[in-house]
Amino acid sequence: MKNQKDIAKDIRRKALKKNWTMFKQSKLGMLGLYIVLFFLFLSLLQPFLFITGIWNKGVYDPVVGYSEQFQEFLVVECPKEYPTEKYKDRGDCPAKLEVNVRTLFYSDAQVGETIIQNLQPAPPSAKHILGTDSLGRDVFSQVMEGSQVAFLLGLLSATLGVGISTLLGTIAAFFGGRVDAYLMRQSDLILMLPTLPLLFIISAFAELKVWHLAVVLGTIGGLGGSVITIKSQALQVKVKPFVDSARITGGSRMNILFSHVLPNVAPLALLFMVFSVTGAIASESVLSFLGLLNIDMSWGLMIYLAQVEGFIFSGMKFWWLILPAGLSVTFLAGGFYLVGRGLDEVFNPRLRQR
Amino acid sequence: MNILEVKNLNMSYETLEGSVAAVKDVTFSLKEGESFGIVGESGCGKTSVAMSLLQLQADNGKITSGEIIFDGKDIVKLNEKELRDVRWSGISIVFQGAMNSWNPVVKIGEQIREAIREHYPDKTKEENTDKINELFNIVGLDSSIADRYPHELSGGMKQRAVIALALSCDPKLIIADEPTTALDVVIQDQILNEIRKVQDILGLSLIYISHDIAVIAEMTDNMAVMYAGRIVEKGPTKEVFENPRHSYTQSLLASTPSVVGDKIKLKSLDGEPPSLINEQIGCSFAPRCPNKNTSCNPNHNMELVEVASDHYVDICNAERSK
Amino acid sequence: MYKYVFRRVYQLIIVFFLFLVTSYVLFDSIPGNAFQSLLLNPELPREAYDMVIQLYGLDKPLYERVILYIQNFFRGDFGYSYVHYPRTPIELIAERLPRTLMLFAMVNIVAFYTGFLIGKILAWRRGSKSETWITVTSVFSYTVFYPWFALMMLWFFGYKLDWLPIGKFLYPEKWYDSPYDSDVIFVSMIKFIAVASILQMLAFVYTRNIESISARRNVRFTSFMIIIIGSFMYWNTGEMLNQKIYAMDIAYHMILPVFTVTVVAFAGTALLTRTTMMEVMKDDFILTARAKGISQKRIRDRHAARNALLPVVTSFIFTIVTIIDGSVLTETIFSWPGMGQLILDSVLREDIPVAMASFSFIGVFALIAHFIADISYAYLDPRIRIQSQG
Repeated sequence: MKNQKDIAKDIRRKALKKNWTMFKQSKLGMLGLYIVLFFLFLSLLQPFLFITGIWNKGVYDPVVGYSEQFQEFLVVECPKEYPTEKYKDRGDCPAKLEVNVRTLFYSDAQVGETIIQNLQPAPPSAKHILGTDSLGRDVFSQVMEGSQVAFLLGLLSATLGVGISTLLGTIAAFFGGRVDAYLMRQSDLILMLPTLPLLFIISAFAELKVWHLAVVLGTIGGLGGSVITIKSQALQVKVKPFVDSARITGGSRMNILFSHVLPNVAPLALLFMVFSVTGAIASESVLSFLGLLNIDMSWGLMIYLAQVEGFIFSGMKFWWLILPAGLSVTFLAGGFYLVGRGLDEVFNPRLRQR
Repeated sequence: MNILEVKNLNMSYETLEGSVAAVKDVTFSLKEGESFGIVGESGCGKTSVAMSLLQLQADNGKITSGEIIFDGKDIVKLNEKELRDVRWSGISIVFQGAMNSWNPVVKIGEQIREAIREHYPDKTKEENTDKINELFNIVGLDSSIADRYPHELSGGMKQRAVIALALSCDPKLIIADEPTTALDVVIQDQILNEIRKVQDILGLSLIYISHDIAVIAEMTDNMAVMYAGRIVEKGPTKEVFENPRHSYTQSLLASTPSVVGDKIKLKSLDGEPPSLINEQIGCSFAPRCPNKNTSCNPNHNMELVEVASDHYVDICNAERSK
Repeated sequence: MYKYVFRRVYQLIIVFFLFLVTSYVLFDSIPGNAFQSLLLNPELPREAYDMVIQLYGLDKPLYERVILYIQNFFRGDFGYSYVHYPRTPIELIAERLPRTLMLFAMVNIVAFYTGFLIGKILAWRRGSKSETWITVTSVFSYTVFYPWFALMMLWFFGYKLDWLPIGKFLYPEKWYDSPYDSDVIFVSMIKFIAVASILQMLAFVYTRNIESISARRNVRFTSFMIIIIGSFMYWNTGEMLNQKIYAMDIAYHMILPVFTVTVVAFAGTALLTRTTMMEVMKDDFILTARAKGISQKRIRDRHAARNALLPVVTSFIFTIVTIIDGSVLTETIFSWPGMGQLILDSVLREDIPVAMASFSFIGVFALIAHFIADISYAYLDPRIRIQSQG
């Protein structure tokens, strides 16, 4: 004999299963999910490798690790005029595994001999899948560390932001009047402030660590335009008959707010959250890129270092310094966005294909 | 001369849960100037039949077999371009819930003009304006309506405008799918009169679809009763009303209150129509049939058999003595 | 009705005030000030620093400064830039603004137009193989790591292929003996584009009443060609001929930034249009249009897309509102000296008059844009038109 609670649980479980089946229908959603899971795997892989000792922390730590990469170089002398039969123009000499004798200050090596030099940043090898950066740190490890940062920061700020805007939006819809007017004006105010300069200002007077940035981003996002959207959604729920019947049967306002209005606003809020993560990851990367964050390692920071050390315009010669970080940001943010799109199809029947 | 012949039409929808056979083996025909009614409860497949006639079924709906011969051509076999020619100038339709048939950001007149332009591209603006005024006249609308947006009209006005729209390209056949369901009885009466008037003036053929058997009685010459995707009884309206042979038809008639005569207790039917997802063997009405007797065989496949002139009934009921 | 408008306006004014105060307080909380570099100069006595501080009123308490600032704001007095003395903030803004507008107006118009077109087609062709891949590509274009992407573009087209200039908005060498200032050229370019666009829009509006579709298309195409030929003649005669060389130089420098930003902006619009169109396509009137025998293409364009326009236009207006914020990154990476760079620069160097002026400008801009937004909703959606009149 099932009682009320069991039946309710049963219904919920079935609904969840149905939603999952529907989500699986969405090609975009599934693609996004795979991408997100991949990066999640990367985030978890790194501590796993360290704990089990497969990776030596001294070598592979993304911030303070160091790996020597010794490479044999052939000493050559670059001619004064081009083209010669070996080199087409000045850019070709010295070639990849060669070194110009004129740049050797500390060695008596002659032309034709081979010397061993420490090469940083080193190209990908068996030991370091994505090579090392200019300080000898393993790039792959950095990517994984950046993934951890992205997830933590993204999820933290998105949750905070959506929590705030859902609460405020529902309150505005529900209580109306002065409260509503005040909250809407507050949103307007936040919307008017330009985000990037604002973040600059904040970073100028407060040292921004990852947590701080997450809180700041979350708060700004939460108090801004999303309040308006959630409020209009909550308003639509408010005028539905079941809210009236809840009030007639004696439900208190708080009760109605939490057990009726909020669950109906939840899908939209969830959607917002997923899309917010996209924005948060992008913002963090931009700020690190501009050198404003006090953070040990993140994808944005990797690009920042690459630019500051002048590797950007080297093009494909040092691709492992430029491509992994940029692509990671792009794909993870995109992955979350795709998941959001998939969820959209689940919650909004008009967007489905069947 | 038969303007429309539907032969053994079968249509099903592909859903996440399986294949739903919405129209099973439907056959009927229509003469020029005749009005034909299709009656049945919600979900019996009557709207699907209507959609098939214009090949407007949803993306996951497919006609698996059968022919629809309109004016000598099999519509099922036409390509998109040929279909577009037939639509509206050959067969037009007045949808269920015509309120939403209108594009909210375009004026009514412009939407009707669009239809005319599609099929008669060489007419001038004045000719079209005159035509629209003429149409509005027939349905009882003021010509100023053409300059309005849909949301400025009341429900009844929108409905009439939809009828005007359906007539705009001089079709030979109009399908009316529950055109008055959402309206109050006064307007309903007006609209029905308009439709009948239009039919008389223009000599149109009409297919009238409804779940309201009273309206069918009023409007149609011949009719068909559908249940779970099949036609269970069809024939001249008068004949079917006076001699209903199928148990379902009898229940339908018995559940409609009459304004005249003694007050009697209405008989309603228990249960629900079957789920159409899985293949059905035998008689789909058997679970609900109030007239089960020894000659009734639930596993017997359904087919129509003639019991009187032009009056067809499912074989089960035909065999039953009256 | 009037009560509502009055209340709204009154709230708006309060918000604006709060905005000014908030901005000022934010700037103030940055430690230090623009003149601290004076202290580092060993040859200047301490008193010089104190004098400067007193001169600029920076020794007064915060609330006094805020009040002073607001008073001056309404007098139109924005002071002088600390860093670019003796230029006033208004001068600087007037100089920089056309550059930003030029760049981003161009970008946004192109991006929204093409984005809408592609999004429309994507929604219509939903489920086909090409649609899925194009949508996924759009998503990644939208979420691409912008600074990285911009740098890649710069490297590829500027350095590797050497097709386009690397940053900046003109070649100084070409302008040595130019009789014109760059802002003059900018202004005339903006005027030209504005006039051409308005003419084209008018042509569109006036041809709405032509009944036959093919005739309508012909007239519109002819008017477009006339405008093209007219522009040609405009730039090749008299006064404009002299300006042409410089205008071309600027245009040449604009290609890369415009292209880079367009890729991202276009993707966002395409995705939004796609989603909105998908919702509209389920409406009943689309079914009616099909029943009428109208071609798929026409249904897509005149029925579905027309209804999907509203959210897209909203997004467009929102982008315009945040045009300056959006331009900060681009202008920094491409060294394009516009408003975005001005704001960033003034914040970093604590040039408070310029920073405050820029922020105030953004505030006013946002308010005006909101207003225009409300008006255009009424135009696009006749349902709202009736409501606001009634």
